[in-house]
Amino acid sequence: MDIDPSKILVRYNVAKEKAQTPEELAAELYPSAEPARTICAAIFDGEEDDVIEGLEKAIEGGADPIALIDDVLMVGMKITTDLYDQGVIFLPNVMMSADAMLEGIEFCKEQGGSAPKPKGTIVCHVAEGDVHDIGKTIVAALLRAAGFEVVDLGRDCPVDEVIAAVKKESPMMVTGTALMTTTMYAFKEVNDRLLESGIKIPFQCGGGAVNQDFVTQYELGVYGEEAADAPKMAEAILAGKGLAQLKETFHKH
Amino acid sequence: MVKRYTSMAYKAADDMIFGKSVYPVKAELGLEIGAGYVTAEVNYAPRPEAGVSKEKLVSEYRRLTTDIMARAVQVGFPAIQLETEHVEQMTNNPDWGGEVAHVQKTIMEEYHEEYGIKTGLRHTPGDIREDRDLLALIGGKYDTLMESFEAVADAGADFLSIETMGGKEILDYAILRNDVPGLIYAIGCLGSIDMTMIWSDIRKIADKKGRVAAGDTDCAQANTAMFIAGGLLDKNLAHTLAIIARAISAPRTLAGYEAGAQGPGKDCGYENTIVKSITGCPIAQEGKTSTCAHSDVMGNLVMQCCDLWSNESVEYHAEFGGTSVQCWSESLNYDAAMLNVATETGNAKMLRDILVLSDKYRDPQGYVLAYDNAYKVGEAIAKDGDDLYLRAKNAAIACVDILNDADSKKLVMSKFELGALADAEAALKAMTDESETFMSDSMEKYKAEVAVFRPDANYKF
Repeated sequence: MDIDPSKILVRYNVAKEKAQTPEELAAELYPSAEPARTICAAIFDGEEDDVIEGLEKAIEGGADPIALIDDVLMVGMKITTDLYDQGVIFLPNVMMSADAMLEGIEFCKEQGGSAPKPKGTIVCHVAEGDVHDIGKTIVAALLRAAGFEVVDLGRDCPVDEVIAAVKKESPMMVTGTALMTTTMYAFKEVNDRLLESGIKIPFQCGGGAVNQDFVTQYELGVYGEEAADAPKMAEAILAGKGLAQLKETFHKH
Repeated sequence: MVKRYTSMAYKAADDMIFGKSVYPVKAELGLEIGAGYVTAEVNYAPRPEAGVSKEKLVSEYRRLTTDIMARAVQVGFPAIQLETEHVEQMTNNPDWGGEVAHVQKTIMEEYHEEYGIKTGLRHTPGDIREDRDLLALIGGKYDTLMESFEAVADAGADFLSIETMGGKEILDYAILRNDVPGLIYAIGCLGSIDMTMIWSDIRKIADKKGRVAAGDTDCAQANTAMFIAGGLLDKNLAHTLAIIARAISAPRTLAGYEAGAQGPGKDCGYENTIVKSITGCPIAQEGKTSTCAHSDVMGNLVMQCCDLWSNESVEYHAEFGGTSVQCWSESLNYDAAMLNVATETGNAKMLRDILVLSDKYRDPQGYVLAYDNAYKVGEAIAKDGDDLYLRAKNAAIACVDILNDADSKKLVMSKFELGALADAEAALKAMTDESETFMSDSMEKYKAEVAVFRPDANYKF
């Protein structure tokens, strides 16, 4: 027994594919000047050694190492994340590009002896009792790739540590991920303790068992359905959006 | 030393069918799994606030167990299995898990005595073997985990299961970098080493308590890949890479059976059809009736060879049709009734093939897991069954070959999926055939790249 499956399913992903390859689309977006073009291409390809080599050439040519972070590395990373947002490339490409960009940033900081000012600081954690941290790892990588400073508290993180980190770092946002229903109950405690301390910053929550209904039960909670929502939410905060506007934008159900 | 599988339990793929396995297993209250009929296996999670105390948790499980049993009797179903996947509080405090199992089994006994309904109870302690930042597979948490198994076995759990995490520290790194050798190392090698250890001990407890060491699933790894891959329009991971990870998970889940598991395999082990082809042991599966927990692209196909049919997990709460566990257990039971009618009327293979064909071409994952192709992956594993590395590599190669040989008009893949497939094939061709070389090279590579990898402490290298 066999069938012609064309009436059983629709291959929407194939139908939506762009005619151009991701590499061709990326090449159209690279800056024209060298060595910026080569460095951006190396970031897109996730080739860390080539990024460093390009930076060395740029610095030898008189470029300011710290200025290269914003002027070249972040530009290259944005090409990758823009193509990811457009659905042209996939998450592993972003992760590998982020690895290459972060290595480039470290190199520039070493060469320049100082560090650029990040767009803002964000505290990331996995709920207490929960050891599943791949979602948090993706969120942290995407935030770093977008130019934010990430304080990563890791997995199975006690509420006390989240509160202490927020008090110390004064972040613009906290993120929490959880896979299990009973561990995500810790999010309510984080919310309540932040409010008790008079801290009213957005608390982005997501992960396997987490849903919008649960997150809306506490005042600071904003539901993040996708990891890629995290940098979008951070950018929205930078643009002046408050809690209510964040919920309006990111609460989809 | 455990005895590895080097041959197939079934002579041909077509011999594999739902509801029937070569080696059925029995529960205490009349239920037999894989003995010619399919049974619903209901799985559930307590509401978030129930985790604050033992009393609240036990009360939650008492209520939901009663709900499920009452609904099964109300609608006239002949059998039902319950699976309690522990929340971390229950495994970290073995007496909590034991109390829940006792309460559940008591209720099930009452219903069995009064109505004759056949029941089975599976308990699945959580894999708590970790420190704050690291997997800690051997040590104090391992001892607590074994105490939890003892407690739930003492309290009446018929089947003992777990979803082990061995190798996950490398998997989480490799899967986000399209690293196929990393998948083989994480799942096929490290995962199998850990499985061999832990299932030997679970089997000892099961034998001592008169229970059944059931089975594992590569939830922590292959399901991570599947969930990241998502649906057709998601852009997080190529589905071709997700099914390669799944193929590699079959020899890893097989390691549990080699160390003493007897089935039923765990519901979210989508690799179970491959495993069943090698072991002949019964399996649980989930698909179209587990959309309460997650979406996948093979909702009908995975029913093809199931012996238990599960809903994965649903939070306990109210729905219009009753509580959530009542609604989902009813849906599962109607599915099981349909399968059993097909068997009774001699139409089982026809229904199996209809289920398969409704999804076989939907996605590379379903295509490879269709029982005919799953059987081929099984054969590739058994061919070098004595070598944990080679059989994992064989599984990946078989998966790639099956996809490359597919009719491109039926299994249509995107350019990205085909590109990832070609990259994986190239990576596989570049890999050594020498296990020792692969193991030592991989250890050095990942020690350098993954800060939380502790080969000596976790895998006794």
